[in-house]
This record gives sequence, C-alpha cells and structure tokens, in this order.
Amino acid sequence: MITHTIFFYFFSIIAIYSALMVITSKNTVNSVFFLILDFISVGCLFIMVGAEFLGMILLIVYVGAVAVLFLFVVMMLNVAEQKTSWFRGRVTKGTHIPSGLFVSILIFLELLVVVGGWKYKTNIMSSGSLPIDQNTTNTHELGNVMYTDYVLYFQLSGMILLLAMMGAIILTYRKRENIKRQSYFKQVSREKSSSVELKDAEFDKGVKIDD
Amino acid sequence: MIENFQILYPEIFLSLSILIILMVGVFIKKSYNLVTNLTFLILLILIAILFNEKGNTLIFSDVFIRDSFSNIIKILILISSLLILYSSQIFIKENNINKFEYPIIFLIAILGMFFMVSANDLILFYLGLELQSLALYILTAIDRDNLRATESGIKFFILSALSSGLLLYGCSLLYGFTGSTNFEIINNELTSENIGAVFAMVFILVGLAFKVSAVPFHMWTPDVFEGSPSSITSFFAIVPKIAGIAVFIRFMQVPFENILIEWQSIVIFLSIASMILGAVAAIGQKNIKRLIAYSSIGHIGYALAGIATGTLSGYSSSILYIAIYAVMNLGIFGCIFLMKKDGKYTEEINDLSGISTKHPLISISFLIILFSLAGIPPLGGFFAKFYVFMSVVESEMYTLAIIGLLTTVISAFYYLKIIKIIYFDEIVKPFDENKNFSISGTIFISCIFLITFFLYPSIFNDLILTAVSK
Repeated sequence: MITHTIFFYFFSIIAIYSALMVITSKNTVNSVFFLILDFISVGCLFIMVGAEFLGMILLIVYVGAVAVLFLFVVMMLNVAEQKTSWFRGRVTKGTHIPSGLFVSILIFLELLVVVGGWKYKTNIMSSGSLPIDQNTTNTHELGNVMYTDYVLYFQLSGMILLLAMMGAIILTYRKRENIKRQSYFKQVSREKSSSVELKDAEFDKGVKIDD
Repeated sequence: MIENFQILYPEIFLSLSILIILMVGVFIKKSYNLVTNLTFLILLILIAILFNEKGNTLIFSDVFIRDSFSNIIKILILISSLLILYSSQIFIKENNINKFEYPIIFLIAILGMFFMVSANDLILFYLGLELQSLALYILTAIDRDNLRATESGIKFFILSALSSGLLLYGCSLLYGFTGSTNFEIINNELTSENIGAVFAMVFILVGLAFKVSAVPFHMWTPDVFEGSPSSITSFFAIVPKIAGIAVFIRFMQVPFENILIEWQSIVIFLSIASMILGAVAAIGQKNIKRLIAYSSIGHIGYALAGIATGTLSGYSSSILYIAIYAVMNLGIFGCIFLMKKDGKYTEEINDLSGISTKHPLISISFLIILFSLAGIPPLGGFFAKFYVFMSVVESEMYTLAIIGLLTTVISAFYYLKIIKIIYFDEIVKPFDENKNFSISGTIFISCIFLITFFLYPSIFNDLILTAVSK
C-alpha cells in the first residue's frame, strides 16, 4: 500500500509540475515537451487505478500522435520563442493573463459544481457494487462488447476512417514525373564486374574515365 | 447474430463492393471507365435487392431498422444517384475529374445515407451522417486545382463540421435527459415536461436543418453549388436532400412523437423562411447554378411544410415532393451539362438567350422542367405542391398554405424569366453539338415523367402513404 502511495504522489507531482511548465515556459518547444511528460504521467496514474486500456490509449494517441503533431507545427511555424512574458520580466501590452485566468477560474468552478454534485447525491451507486469481474482486463471487456453488441458501429467507424484516408490521398497526392527512385532489384543484382574496374594510372597523366 | 447479417445484406453487399472496386481501381491503371461501369452494375443490383426487401425488422439490439419506409427512400436515393452518375459522364471526363475514386466516394456517400435512413439509434444515425458528409466534403473539393472548388470545399467543411457539433451536442443532451440513445426508448421517456430534452430537440433540429439547407442555415448552399463542378452540384442538389427529409420524418415519427407541438412551431418557421428566401433571393441571380441553389432552398421549404403538419398524409406528401423535385433537378442538370460553347462549359443565364432557334429540343425540355419547377399544371411539379398544400389545409394551417402559395407565384417570375430569355431574346452563339445519348436520355426520362405524371398521380402517393404508415 505504501509503495502505491509513493508512486501516486510521484506521478501526480510530475503531472502538476509539468502542467504548470506547459503554460509558463518561454520556449514553445519546451512547452510541448512538458505536455508530453504530462500525458505520460497521467497515463501512469490511469494504469495505477486499473484503467490500463485508457492509459495505453492516452500514450498511443496523445503522446504518439497528437503531441508529435504539435511539435511539428510548433517547429514549422517558427513560433518557438514567446515574445510576451507571463510572470516575470518586462510586461508588454497585449498580455493574455487576465483572459486565461478568467477561463481557468470558470473551468475550476464548473469542476467544483460537477464533483460536488456527485459527492453529495444521496442515491448514488458506488462502483464497488457493480457486477464487474475483477479477473478480466479492461481491454478484454471492451473487446467483448466491441465485437458483439457494437460490431455495426465498429465496422462503420472503419469505413469512415478508410474514407478519411482516401480523401487525404485524393486531395493532396500528386504523381511527380522525372523523379529518381530507388530500385532494390537493380541494387542487389549489381555485380562487382559491372561496376569496379582496375586501371593503371600513368605518372602525371591520370586516368580518363568515360562517362 | 447471423440473422442480423442476413437482414443487413444490402448494406454488407454495398460495403464489400466498395472495397473490391477500390482494389480494382488501385491495381489497374487508368481504370476510371471500368470502375464507373462496375458502379452502375452495383447500383442496379442494389435496386433489384431492395425491391425484393419486405417486412419490418429491428436488428443489432434495436439499432438498425429495415422497413418499407427506409426501403422506398433507399430506392429513390439509388435511382437518382444512378441517373446523376450516368448523365454526368461526359462532363466528368471533359473537366479532368475522372479519377477512379470519384464513383467510389459516390458509393460511400450512398452507404452513409443508407445507415442514416435506417438508423433507430442516435449513434448509428450520427455515424451514417458523418460518413455521408465526409464523402461530400471530398467530392466538393475533388477538382483540386480549381480555386473556387477548393474554396467551396473548405467553406462547406467548416460550416458542416460546426453543424455536426451542434447536432452532437443535442444528441448528448438527449441521452442525458432520457437515458438512452435508442429512438423507441427516447420516445417513451420524452414528454413536454422534460424541458432539457425539448432543448436538445432544438439542437438536433438545427443540425438537420443545416443538412437539408433550410433557412436560416442555408448560407453554404449558393457558394457550394456554384463553386463545385456541376456533376457534384447535381448530386448535392438531389441525393442528400432526399436522405435529410427522410431523417426529418423518422425523427418526427419515432423519438419526438410526443413533443409534436414544440417541434411543429420550429418547422413551420423553417418552412416559411425557406420558401420566402428561395423565392426572393433567386430573382437577381445571373449564374444558373446559384439560381438552382436558391430554388432548392425554396423547394425544401415546401417539403418541410408537409412535414410541419405532423400527419401521415403530410409526411407522404413531402416524400412525394422531394421525389418529384429530384426528377426535375435531374432534368435541369442534364440541360446544364449541355450548356457548352466552343468546348467550354458556361453557367451564365444570359448564355441561354435565343437558343430556341438552334436547339428546339433543349429549349422545349428547359420549358417543361422550368414550368414544372414553377408548379404549373398539368406537370409533375404542380401535383407535388398540390399534395403538400392539401395536407397543410387538411390540418388547418391556413397561414402556412397562403404564404406557400404566394411564394410560388413570386418564384414563378424567375423561372418564366429564363423561358423568356430562351425564347424571345436574340441569339448570341449556339451551343456545341452533343451526340451522346446519356445526357439527352436522362432529360428525356425526366420530361416524360413530368408530363405523364398527371395520368395517374395517386399511384405514387398511395405507394408512399402505405410505406410511411407501415
């Protein structure tokens, strides 16, 4: 139990610290790296409460795809250095702290209402009383309904993804002419005799290679 | 489980054939013609399959519904897509958008509409809707070197994503206040005292109104219609509207049955606003595709007037309306595919001036279709409006009927103006000759349908009425 607590505090401190660093660091690339760290530590927290599927999905989708995409965008758009400082240093005009604070206070209050509403509800059912088989994993349970009750939705989502892929190819792919491509067959079947030649080099004259 | 798949087989057939022709397109070089012909074959087989479908079944734990209503809508969607793809062949090739993905994305959009129409659950409905809209975004921008096409693609993408967000917000509220995503359970839980759910209904209505481009959510329509290639515009003007109206009726019949009063007042507003804007804003247009965009907004207003009654005859009249609207638009887009001067396609109304001397057949088909769009008897468009207004008057909504009739008169002005330009103005330059059968055949089918509809109008009405009432 004590190890569990230690790990919990370890990951949550990293999560909170990196979340703070995401918004305070001056370099946008650093912000994105802290975002990735944040996702990873939250993913670890998910795994600790037994939601291993959610944790892994968070790692794969957010770290593997979304955050890397962010990184690409940030590096390509050349917005690495932030002009206006947040807390220290000179304060230029057009700072966005007030609006940011307003939005975060609003979200905090909303969370308070939501959590408070659940906490003090009388007829709430605890998750312990739900008929959950503790021996099967989340992934197994999800797969059980995904391929039986929800197979229609699952296949239809597959069609949507296929269409999205086709659309991206149709709208952006251009066949380029006169492009030199690598030919593995030619490379592998090349022999020493056809490519290496031994020549005697005469003094002060060199060798003429016909090209 | 296996029974589910047996009932789902039209959709499974469509999905598998999409995957197969995708492989055909990838591995065979220059395969546009082959893929298109295979697409025609798939559409024909699907029509045959759906004609033989009967019964009323709920499958996949009451998520997917197969009934006569969804079947009739699917057949409508298939026939109109088949004719659109058939008549736009020449246009597609001459504008260099003949990529093999074109018909495949067409089929995927149809698959999305199939699930939309058959959905009995909010999640399935949303997935179908997204599949359809995603295909439409790609189709709008498929002419990627054309600045206007890409602009309209981006515009449509952003606005449609916003409306999907609103729709999804409504869906989540509805789930929160009724405790289920299933239409039947929502219907049982929903009463007018459930304020939150009524609130959710408004959001869902906004999303749906955007998809069928009813005022005040019509802003994207003229730009997208004008910017995208005509072959795509004809698809936009017809097929998503059929699916959208069908979903409107499904929502009204099943989940929102008990809050009809709340829903009705909003639909009446949408209907009146669309009719008025469609009639007034089209007057000043110089581009024929823009004019058709505004006219389609007006026509959606009439179809919504049928839905606003909340009666079975109203629902069936609006389906009949949208079916006849589809036939008329097939014809008029066929005529637009023929508007070609010196090898370049034109879209200006003034280019039509005086063509009656050189092209009597094109002019007479324009005449028939435009008269029908204006709702002049004895053409098909008159009967469409007749059934809608009859059901509106039957449910004693006289204001709606009077405004509808007034806007019909106003919109007749701009339809007749085009006829005047065709028949009484000086000829500037004749169109290029077209010897291909596909376009003229489609126009011919459309005109014959509109002319002969008065012989036995009740046959379609009865067919749709029995389908709607199950």
